[in-house]
Amino acid sequence: MARLRGREAAPRRTAAQLSRGRAWWALLFIGPAGLGLAVFYLWPIIRGIYLSFQDVGPFGGETFVGIDNFIEVFAEPDLGRALLNTLLYAAICLIGIPVAMIVAVLINTKGLKGRGLFRVLFFLPVVTMPVAVALVWRLLLNVDYGVLNLSLRAIGLPGVAWLSTPVVNMVVIAIVGIWMGLGTQIIIFTAGLQGIPDTLIEAAELDGAGPVRRFVSVIVPLLSPTTFLLSVLSVIASMQVFDLIFLMIDPNNPAQSQSQSLVSLFYAKGFLQHDLGAAAAIACVLLAIILVLSAIQFRLQRRWVHYE
Amino acid sequence: MQSRALRSGAVALGAAMVAALALAGCSSGGGQDGPTTLNYTIWDQNQEPALREAADEFENQNPNVDVEITVIPSKDYWTKIQTQMSAGTGPDVFWVNGPNFQLYASNGQLAPLDDTGIEAGDYPESLIDLYTYDGSLFGAPKDFDTIGVYYNKALFDAAGLEYPAAGWTWADFQNAAQKISDPANGVYGTAAAPYGQMTYYNTILQAGGEIISEDGTTSGYDTPEAAEGVQFWADLIENGSSPTLQQITDTWPGDTFSSGKMGMFLDGSWAAGTYSSAEAIADVIGVAPLPIGPSGENTSVVHGLANAASAKSENLEMAKKLAVFLSGEEAAGIQAKTATVIPAFNGTQQAWVDALTAIDAQIFLDAVETGAPLPISKNTTAWVPVEEDYIKQILSGQIDTETGLKDLAGEMNDLLAEE
Amino acid sequence: MSESTSVMTRERAPVAVREPAPVTTPRRARRAPGKPLTWVYALLILGSAVMVFPFIWEVLTSLKTLSGASSVPPQILPDPFTTRAYTKVFDTLPFWNLLGNSILLTVIRTLGQVLLCTMAGYGFARFHFRGKNVLFIGFLAVLMVPGQLFLLPQYEIIRELGLLGTIPGIALPGLFSVFGTFLLRQFFQTLPMELEEAARLDGANEWQIFWRVMLPLAKPGIIALTLLTALWSWNDFLWPLVVSGSVTSMPLSVGLSLLTDLRLRDDALLMAGALLSSLPMIVVFLVLQRQFIQGIAFTGTKG
Repeated sequence: MARLRGREAAPRRTAAQLSRGRAWWALLFIGPAGLGLAVFYLWPIIRGIYLSFQDVGPFGGETFVGIDNFIEVFAEPDLGRALLNTLLYAAICLIGIPVAMIVAVLINTKGLKGRGLFRVLFFLPVVTMPVAVALVWRLLLNVDYGVLNLSLRAIGLPGVAWLSTPVVNMVVIAIVGIWMGLGTQIIIFTAGLQGIPDTLIEAAELDGAGPVRRFVSVIVPLLSPTTFLLSVLSVIASMQVFDLIFLMIDPNNPAQSQSQSLVSLFYAKGFLQHDLGAAAAIACVLLAIILVLSAIQFRLQRRWVHYE
Repeated sequence: MQSRALRSGAVALGAAMVAALALAGCSSGGGQDGPTTLNYTIWDQNQEPALREAADEFENQNPNVDVEITVIPSKDYWTKIQTQMSAGTGPDVFWVNGPNFQLYASNGQLAPLDDTGIEAGDYPESLIDLYTYDGSLFGAPKDFDTIGVYYNKALFDAAGLEYPAAGWTWADFQNAAQKISDPANGVYGTAAAPYGQMTYYNTILQAGGEIISEDGTTSGYDTPEAAEGVQFWADLIENGSSPTLQQITDTWPGDTFSSGKMGMFLDGSWAAGTYSSAEAIADVIGVAPLPIGPSGENTSVVHGLANAASAKSENLEMAKKLAVFLSGEEAAGIQAKTATVIPAFNGTQQAWVDALTAIDAQIFLDAVETGAPLPISKNTTAWVPVEEDYIKQILSGQIDTETGLKDLAGEMNDLLAEE
Repeated sequence: MSESTSVMTRERAPVAVREPAPVTTPRRARRAPGKPLTWVYALLILGSAVMVFPFIWEVLTSLKTLSGASSVPPQILPDPFTTRAYTKVFDTLPFWNLLGNSILLTVIRTLGQVLLCTMAGYGFARFHFRGKNVLFIGFLAVLMVPGQLFLLPQYEIIRELGLLGTIPGIALPGLFSVFGTFLLRQFFQTLPMELEEAARLDGANEWQIFWRVMLPLAKPGIIALTLLTALWSWNDFLWPLVVSGSVTSMPLSVGLSLLTDLRLRDDALLMAGALLSSLPMIVVFLVLQRQFIQGIAFTGTKG
């Protein structure tokens, strides 16, 4: 270190000299990843948008059809239904955020023993394979011998066809989605909580605020940047829901056609009905919706997010 | 120290480059001199062992050929084949079925097999017809299947009923289903599975209706006969003889049947081996022909798979040879013994019947005589999802049969008009 | 020099990098009133029960017989207790083969992604060149795009490379990640310039600065990305489903779906398969839980 400090007096190279040499280094650092990202991610977007204006034959062969694909998908009732389902799913998933916040606060209660264990238990679903999650929940939700319905019947209530009743199944799948993602949100909230200076909470305490008051008037506002981040991420992710629906709603499910998300519809159009143009059009619509929703969230942010 | 840093950096980068080159290199030189590898793609794991044996035999006869068998789960099968074919990387030989055959044949994806020496006379005529497009044979019939009634003798005994036998009628079926049902204990008479081939296609035909006109251009759903055939199943759900569609979704009726809790289940000959070896029912299982409907017939849907060679195969001649071999006498003989499916090659079917000792499998062969081909059109997969969706809504009581079928016929006709 | 820097940072929690954690003055040892804490325990135990019950049921069901798994009323404890479902998993699936594929894919994608993202993240954070921001925003837009849009074009590329149905073919797109690049760029931006400047004046070239000075400092970020990538890779489903042709290149996530395709459904078998496929990642998590949790927390504060 001392040696380095001695050099500080040496004349600095000019900025121009520096940057000319460094451009090559920049290429070296960014080049490999940049090339891969361009080929595997940027190009597919361009190609996807291009395809949305093409009619693609079942085995390839593209003809330009203008906005016909968009007209087609908007004319069908499926798109509207899928959009409503997706929005419902996304809305329910947002409920996971306050739940995660409360659990995070509880886990971080001072003097609590077994904190590590609780954290592990809540995090377990995050590291479990979605295919496995779907299999387990389908067993729990089985109409005839699922634990949930058997318990309901045991206390004299009728069972529910959880996965084959329209709307109900979207709610149920969203709850499974929350169950899967809760652990992540709890940990991000915990990180946010650690950023809250103890002094603020102690001050509130000295003012005579009870645990609930402290939570509502100190912790919630101070966590609002984290809450905002999680809600943006949650909306983006849940607008793209596919795996869980694909794995939990069978083709022979009577509610199948009424239980599609936008991405399920995209998958059905592109890979089951072999209409790649229409599928690409749906993906473009989805992209636009995600952008609009994110923009709205950033707008509303000013109203309720408090940055220090 | 600096030079070491440089070196370690260079090594890391170099390794990445080499890896990248190796990846690229792999792609260009794909085994030019080695034996020819043919990919054979199927969807039924249960049949893999027998087909492997047949493929080994083919390898013995053609020493320079390797046959690699790929099993794709049935629900992903067509998605994947289509993606692969449009990407030009499909298998050399693969299974085709009726609903998908014409799509592939009409789009030039399949190689004609006429010049391979395959004899149409060796196969049931209906299957040769099914896999002929524009006068050429594009699929070598591999097996066929018909539908029968699997029943549980113990449940029939308990209800004091006679076992189903040839000549029985819809009324007998409905009566037995209702008598056996005991929903409180999870026991059902039968199940209205929402799969046409297994259930409502048969009853529509038995009622004297049709699913699609013979030339495959108009829907048959807007007739009273079709309505009768669909209502048959709706009634069974309505009066509790069958689980509801919601229950069927969560628990496949075949599973309920094999656990001994269902009196009768309509299923294909392909399932005979599975049911007759299912622990809980192996001793009490029986099979009967379908019951006779209002038209006086007990029509069963007849369908069968074929081995087809991809027109894009790099070893086209060898691929065609393999497709025909896998449907030939030798391969059929190997398959018959495993009691999985009925081989299509004439004269090998008896071995299949003999292999199924627990049941009278002959009824499945007899059903061919009075059977009708699976309804298809040029782009069957376009209207089948629409059809299934309406039927599911009717069976789950969301719409009434008449309105549902009228709307279905309308939509189906629109789709057929586009073909 | 690099020795001293890495020692300096080794003990710091990653969360603390941007805004040093509240100074660790011993929190006031507050005697928590007994009652609220009881409530806290009650709520947390209830919550944990909801989180864990599906796993417990999964384990119990996997040890039941075919009929025991779907009996009404349900068996709580397996009766008779049997491990036949596990035996059947190994009979039905080429399990070790699938496991090997999953491990290989996870190792390749994790190493590749971490190396490439770290380099690119550093590049974007520390170098300035014309068009950099445009390029970066272009990449960020990718994060907004539904992943399924990439599916077919990526498939076309893998086909052109002749890599369909091969492990390299499944791994290739996963070597690159916008998210990872963004994460590491955010990380590098928070690191002080001084050390870098000092090393530069000392005559070190850019690669040396990166490799010996910056990389050790970025360790928390790198560990976070490593674990997240490994987790994602292990669970990835749709892409390998489309690209892997046969069991020779299939990972566990896809292979598991073969179990649902058997003619007779066997819930015990499904649960045993689900458990065996998830177990490796769960074990890794239990061993490295601190790193996992810090990794997630890290993405939350940087992302």
